[in-house]
Amino acid sequence: MIEDDIYRTSSQFRLWSYTESSLSALREKTNIIASGRVRAALQRARSTQQSATPSATGTPQPGSDGETKKPTEKEIECLTPEEELVLVRYYCEKTLELGDTYKPPLPTMVRATAIQYLRRFYLTNSPMTYHPKSIMACALFLATKTDNYYMSLRQFADGIPGDTSTEDVISPEFLLMQGLRFTFDVRHPFRGLEGGVMELQAIAQGQGAPGPHLLHQTPQQLLQGIQSIAPGPFPTSSLSDRIARAHGATRETLKSAAQMTDAYFLYTPSQIWLSAFLLADRPLAEFYLDTKLGGPLTPTIDGSADPSDLQNPLYELRSKLHKVLTDCSALLQAYTTLSSDPNQMKDLKRIAKKLYHCQNPEKVNLAHKRDSAQPQAVSSQVTSESESERLAKKRKLEEKARGGASDIFGPELVMERTKQ
Amino acid sequence: MASKNGIDRRDEDEVCPVCKSSRYLNPNMRFLINPECYHKMCESCVDRIFSSGPSSCPVAGCRKTLRKARFRAQTFEDIGVEREVDIRRRVMHILNRREEEFDSKRAYDDFLEQREEMIANLVHRTDVAKTEAQLQKYASVNIQSIRANQAIEEQEASSFAARMTQEQEEARLRRQAAREQLENERREMQAGREDMISRLAAGSSADAAAIAREGHKVLLKKSSARRSEEDRIRQKQAALRGSETKRGGSSLTTADTAGPSDGGLIKGLRRIKTPEPEKPYDPFMGYVPEKRDYYALQPSYPSTYLDRVKNDTRTAAGGYDLQEYYSRTLVEAFAGLGCFIGEEVAQREAATSGLGLKPAATTSAAMAAGDES
Repeated sequence: MIEDDIYRTSSQFRLWSYTESSLSALREKTNIIASGRVRAALQRARSTQQSATPSATGTPQPGSDGETKKPTEKEIECLTPEEELVLVRYYCEKTLELGDTYKPPLPTMVRATAIQYLRRFYLTNSPMTYHPKSIMACALFLATKTDNYYMSLRQFADGIPGDTSTEDVISPEFLLMQGLRFTFDVRHPFRGLEGGVMELQAIAQGQGAPGPHLLHQTPQQLLQGIQSIAPGPFPTSSLSDRIARAHGATRETLKSAAQMTDAYFLYTPSQIWLSAFLLADRPLAEFYLDTKLGGPLTPTIDGSADPSDLQNPLYELRSKLHKVLTDCSALLQAYTTLSSDPNQMKDLKRIAKKLYHCQNPEKVNLAHKRDSAQPQAVSSQVTSESESERLAKKRKLEEKARGGASDIFGPELVMERTKQ
Repeated sequence: MASKNGIDRRDEDEVCPVCKSSRYLNPNMRFLINPECYHKMCESCVDRIFSSGPSSCPVAGCRKTLRKARFRAQTFEDIGVEREVDIRRRVMHILNRREEEFDSKRAYDDFLEQREEMIANLVHRTDVAKTEAQLQKYASVNIQSIRANQAIEEQEASSFAARMTQEQEEARLRRQAAREQLENERREMQAGREDMISRLAAGSSADAAAIAREGHKVLLKKSSARRSEEDRIRQKQAALRGSETKRGGSSLTTADTAGPSDGGLIKGLRRIKTPEPEKPYDPFMGYVPEKRDYYALQPSYPSTYLDRVKNDTRTAAGGYDLQEYYSRTLVEAFAGLGCFIGEEVAQREAATSGLGLKPAATTSAAMAAGDES
């Protein structure tokens, strides 16, 4: 299928698609690395404090020093991957709200992009290292730029409730882009939904075109087909009204549930909108899929399919798709907003409190460190160590890359001369 | 046929079998033969008999019709050899398959044997009609490959000749250079000796030994420098020669030509694959821009929301094309519908880890986590 090949070239498929297991493994790995760093950083901070205090207290006590260190180490309790995920989800919801504070409100597409940026960023970074609050605004601002919704930085910063400076918004930008692996393209299901609804309306008005693999269908047959499907969940006056209603409901699902769950990582946008559409109006969605992939899927138990279906090359695709769409709609349906559930809110408060204690102290003030993100800048003493470490790592990676491919211009001239 | 004393063909008492005039009377007499019957006759007889068109051979008992144009001087003294060489040339001209055209060395050897057999048949006049028929048939069927091989042979011959003359020229230059060098050397030696003698004459007797030693040293140095120079030149020439022969060789290997299989005469010929005619250039590699698998794009779709845009001249004036919107939304509606991430990504990860690489995602995760902390 050509459309599928088009999607396979996207960075969303190439870099940001995961299986459920690989996704959780990645999150776990990120969490472990980040926890280790947080512990080390906190200890460093504490030891510098302690080395500063003895001069004030007078006598340094080496014995008691060790004793006090042991219990404090135990105190550092880091977030679990699940807690991190809840936290990120909360800030994703916040991003939606933040978009509403602007006048006019930011387009859905921009907000959705920002949310996906946040989600992608926190796959490889931990909220313990970078607080989502600081990243969130930046992600939204970056999304306005990548989605062609121009806003000046000042205008943007003014729209954020509370006193947020332009510097606060922009400072983590490079960091965020790095976390996104510089792939800004997010494929949303919204426009696909419009296309699908457009086609359904055409069918409902008797102007439907058959799919390229099912050329035997005529517009009249399609019209009869759509008229004879089972009634939807809500009583509607006309067919186009029904489609419009399903359209609205799907859009709502896509705006919220699709954004807040891992749907973007696990499914393709086309599958996401169809799953949401299934939730909104199952008979309609099933009919639409049938017009595309032929024949209703006979609801047989464990694979004892109709032989005529087996002959259809689309049958396999159809049955596979059925499973994927069911999984995806289950994922979307299971979603409830955090703020609507008091239990979840209580849990969130606990996590926030916990995060307060295990926040990486070296990463708190991003605005000051923005310059140091550039490799050539010589920064303050706090960052210089990590900076040099980073540079060393980068250099090593470069060398490794160079070692693999032979240099097209040959080895260095000086080396050659010394050999001779 | 063969003269008695073998070597001297300008036999004094050689007599033309047609006009009976002898060389004794006419020292400039030349004898000609015609490959039809190989009967020898003198030039004046040929002029006399065949000037007015083809005529039959004047030798008694021979009824071959001969043409003047075909008469030529005899190459070999033995007419039998002459005839065999002619036949051989003709057959080899037709059966000119090359070794690289055969599957194996064995097949090529068989072919050579077959060819020899045919030549022998023709020479000894056994199965002449059958062999001739075979040859004719083969020639008519394989006219193209015969031509191609002939062209290759000609090219080989000419390039060989060119190489020979080039080598001769090089050798000449080398000899000349060597001669000049020898001359220079001699002159230098002479000059050095004269110089030394004049200095010896001018200087005191105490310096004599030193001057003599010095002069000797200078000579030695010069000769060693020259030797190394020679070496260098020789190396350069060798390298040049090597590259040239390589070039010559490569130009000759373009022997493979397309041709039909032989007319069943020669076995073991390599199947020559005719290269498929080049298809028209397809920049999208099979991708048809307008082809879609999930939907057929229609010129317009009913939509209350879009109808406003459609009828608004302002959008059209701005260059906005609703058709673009249709195609984009529909592509996005189905792009990736058949991509099953669960399967495909798992496969991808298995492939990358199978290669001993870390999956890109986890590598970069480690990088990102490591870099930023």
